[in-house]
Amino acid sequence: MSAIVDLVLGVVTSIGGFVEVGSISTSAQAGSEFGFQLLWAVAAATIMLAMLVEMSGRLAAVGKQSVAGAVRERFGIHFQAVPLVAELVIDVLLLTAEIGGVAIALKLLTGIAFQWWLIPIGLVVWLVLWFSGFAIVEYGIGMLGLVTLAFVVAAWKLGPDTSDLAKGLVPTMADHDITRYAFLAVSIMGATVSPYLVNFYSSGTIEEKMKEQELWVNRTTAYLGTAFGSIVAMGVLVTSAMVLEPRNILVDSYEQAALMFVPTFGRWAIGLFALCLGIGCLGAALEITLNAGYVLAQVFGWEWGANKPRRDAARFTTAFTFILLMALAIGLIGFDPLKLTMICVALTVVAMPFIVLPFLVLMNDKRYVKEHTSGPIGNGFLAALTIFAGFLALIVVPLEIIGGS
Amino acid sequence: MRQLAMALELAAVLLCSGCSRQDARLEAHKKSLESLGATTKVIAEAWLSGDVSGTYTRTALEQTFYLVEQERARLASTPEMLQDRRGATLSQDAEQLSRLIASMIGDVDTANGDAARQRLASLPIVPQEQP
Repeated sequence: MSAIVDLVLGVVTSIGGFVEVGSISTSAQAGSEFGFQLLWAVAAATIMLAMLVEMSGRLAAVGKQSVAGAVRERFGIHFQAVPLVAELVIDVLLLTAEIGGVAIALKLLTGIAFQWWLIPIGLVVWLVLWFSGFAIVEYGIGMLGLVTLAFVVAAWKLGPDTSDLAKGLVPTMADHDITRYAFLAVSIMGATVSPYLVNFYSSGTIEEKMKEQELWVNRTTAYLGTAFGSIVAMGVLVTSAMVLEPRNILVDSYEQAALMFVPTFGRWAIGLFALCLGIGCLGAALEITLNAGYVLAQVFGWEWGANKPRRDAARFTTAFTFILLMALAIGLIGFDPLKLTMICVALTVVAMPFIVLPFLVLMNDKRYVKEHTSGPIGNGFLAALTIFAGFLALIVVPLEIIGGS
Repeated sequence: MRQLAMALELAAVLLCSGCSRQDARLEAHKKSLESLGATTKVIAEAWLSGDVSGTYTRTALEQTFYLVEQERARLASTPEMLQDRRGATLSQDAEQLSRLIASMIGDVDTANGDAARQRLASLPIVPQEQP
């Protein structure tokens, strides 16, 4: 019974926690510039994420090791240094962007400049992490995040042509701005397959003390949760394509993106968009902050855990506090939240091979996953994904320069 | 003779690629400014129909104003762009759009819907909506 409750909670909170600053901005831009044509990129990124999340959960449930901890142990600190630095840089920048997303949501509601909200939001994030355990961060915010289903409702009410939607799921070449199209396709992948999600999921599996016998819960949560969650990201893309593209509005700011709700929700539109953006970004900000603490503690062998009394995991607490302060410092220097988000997703793509490659070894090492090693399909997928990630990492910077704006 | 022909050919190619790069840049600026003109129109219409609050309208128009100014600065960053007649016209349209948005922010502050409606009719850069 408890496993079924965990499963339902896991799937529901995956839906609520899927959409954040990266997926909202990349999907909104993709929809406004290329209609439904980039739906396939969301679907492809979802498959990648679901498989990586399932593997990281399996590693944690069987080997009782998080991804960062296992990589440190298996490959040593010399290899670990690269993904560690990459992940921390991305985490700090992405955290700044997520806090910026919450601040923009508050700006939409109050008209007060977003910079004024950065410190109060940082304080809320820190207080939530200080006073609550893992369940509040994961399930509480995930449940609130169900408000993002408004994107699916909006897309549904706008009545898109199902054959056009189906066509969007098949990769095709754009008839205009090919480099921009390629850049957005790669950015959608970077926004979806975030390194923090993979390690956060494996750390959460350990926090929740998932047993080896409950691997089916992990598998179902990973696949169903990610699949349903991606429907929300697709909802953003479809709504943007149906409202903003016909009006020739390209998304250069969140103020423009908010307009996509107006035809469906009328006077509730802006409030609802702000709620979706704010809660989605707040949830992600909490997860990223916690994840940065997890990664540092797991790599350096410190005591860690969101459920542990803070004094028992003092270095873990100090680590996530420091990361949060760094993100706030960058935020206060001044930044454009949408541009920073697009830089973060490009950096994620650059780091992707270092995230994917260790899985190929770990998921075939019986010391970590016992008899639950990956089969030919899983290994084939990982090998293909490693090559594909390497290719994306090579092309993303030129694409960012040519097609980024 | 053959070398001269090749040099002329190369010069022609370089000249053409320079022209097409300029054309592509102008097209990109035009597209961005059309998007900002369309954004202004949609925001103002939503405010006039009571779908969005004055707070949001002001915030969104301010952001649009900022983006227009950024685009205008980018457009005027090289003399070649403004030497081109199309670039010069686009720059003037962008300036007009900036002024119009600034006036519209004033209309929102004073809740003057009639003035905003009149300004909406004279938006300088708005593309045709797609069906």
